[in-house]
Amino acid sequence: MAGLARLAWTFLWLSLLCVGGGLGVVPEMQRQVVARYEWVTAREFVDGYTLSQLTPGPNMLVVVFVGYRAYGVPGACLAGLAMFLPTSSLTALVARRWERVRAHPWALAGERALAPVGIGLMAAGVYTLAWSAVHDAPTATLALVATLALTASWVPPVAVVLVGGLAGWLLGL
Amino acid sequence: MSRVRLPHLIRVFAWTGLTSLGGGRSAYFHDAVVVRRPWVRNDEFVQDLTLSQLLPGPNFANLAVALGCRLAGWAGGAAALGAIVAPGAVMLLLLAVLYFRGGFAPATTHVMHGMAATVVGLVLVTTARIVRASLHGRVALVVAVATFLLVGPLGVNTPLAIALVLPVALWWHRPRRA
Repeated sequence: MAGLARLAWTFLWLSLLCVGGGLGVVPEMQRQVVARYEWVTAREFVDGYTLSQLTPGPNMLVVVFVGYRAYGVPGACLAGLAMFLPTSSLTALVARRWERVRAHPWALAGERALAPVGIGLMAAGVYTLAWSAVHDAPTATLALVATLALTASWVPPVAVVLVGGLAGWLLGL
Repeated sequence: MSRVRLPHLIRVFAWTGLTSLGGGRSAYFHDAVVVRRPWVRNDEFVQDLTLSQLLPGPNFANLAVALGCRLAGWAGGAAALGAIVAPGAVMLLLLAVLYFRGGFAPATTHVMHGMAATVVGLVLVTTARIVRASLHGRVALVVAVATFLLVGPLGVNTPLAIALVLPVALWWHRPRRA
C-alpha cells in the first residue's frame, strides 16, 4: 500500500511539472522512476516512451507502462489517474472561468514567461532520451536519418518510427 | 446549454485520439472541431490551446478537457478526457504486459532499439519546430537555454530549476504601466 501511495504521489507531482508538453517532464520522470525508486531500468523507460509514441493518445501514458512494471494492473491504473485526473480537473475549473482570468495582466506575463521555460524543458527531454537511446554509431545514424526524414513534414512520424524498428532488426542493434 | 450531445462528443474525441499519432497532435483537434465541424470558432480554439499550454499537465489531455467543457460543460470535460485517454491506456497496458512477460522475442529487442533511436529524431524535430514558432527574443532564448542546461546536462531537480528560472522570467514580463 505504501508503495502504491508513493507511485501515485510521484506521478501526481510530476504531472504538475508538465509545462508546455509531456516531453519536458521526461528528465525528472526518469530520475524518479529509474534512479530513485528503481521501478524500471533506463532501457525499459526509453522503450516505454517509444511504445507510448506508437500508441494513440497522450505520450504521458508512459506512466501506465511504469506503473504496471512496479505494481501490476493496480499500479498502471493508479499511475494513469495520478497523471491525468488532478491536472485535468484544474483545467476544467480554469476553463470555465478563463474569460475573467485572461483579463488579468499577470495572465499575459505568465504566458510569456512560461513559454521559454517549457521549451527549455522539452530540449532537456530530448537530451535525456538521446542519452538512453543513442549509444553507438548505428543508433546515432538512425536518429540523424529520422531527423532528416521528419523535417520533410509530409512523412508520417509513425511510419518513420516503424522503419527505424525494421532497421534495428536488420542491423541487430 | 451544451452545444453537442455527449455520445457524439465522445465518438469524435475518441476517434481524434485514436488517429492522432506522432507530433503536432493539437492540429488533429483543430481539424476535428473547427475545420470539419462547426463546433468551435477558431479564436475559441486558440484560447483553449493557450490555456492548455499555460496550465500544468499533459497538454493534449488539457486541450481535450478545455474543448469538452466548452462544448458540453463539466460532463463534456470528463467525457473528453475519458475518450482520448482510455483507448491508448488500454493499448499501452497490453503492450506493457507483453513487454514485461517476455512476449517480445529477442529479435524484438533490436526492433525496440531501432524505434527508440528514431523517436529521438522525432522529439528533436518537434522541439525544433516549437522553438522556431514560439521562441522570440534574446531574453526568451536565455531563459530556454538556462532551463535546458539546468535540467538536462547539469541534472538539477526540475522543480528547483523552475523555481530558479521562472521568477526571473516573470519579473521580466511583469505588467508595466504604459
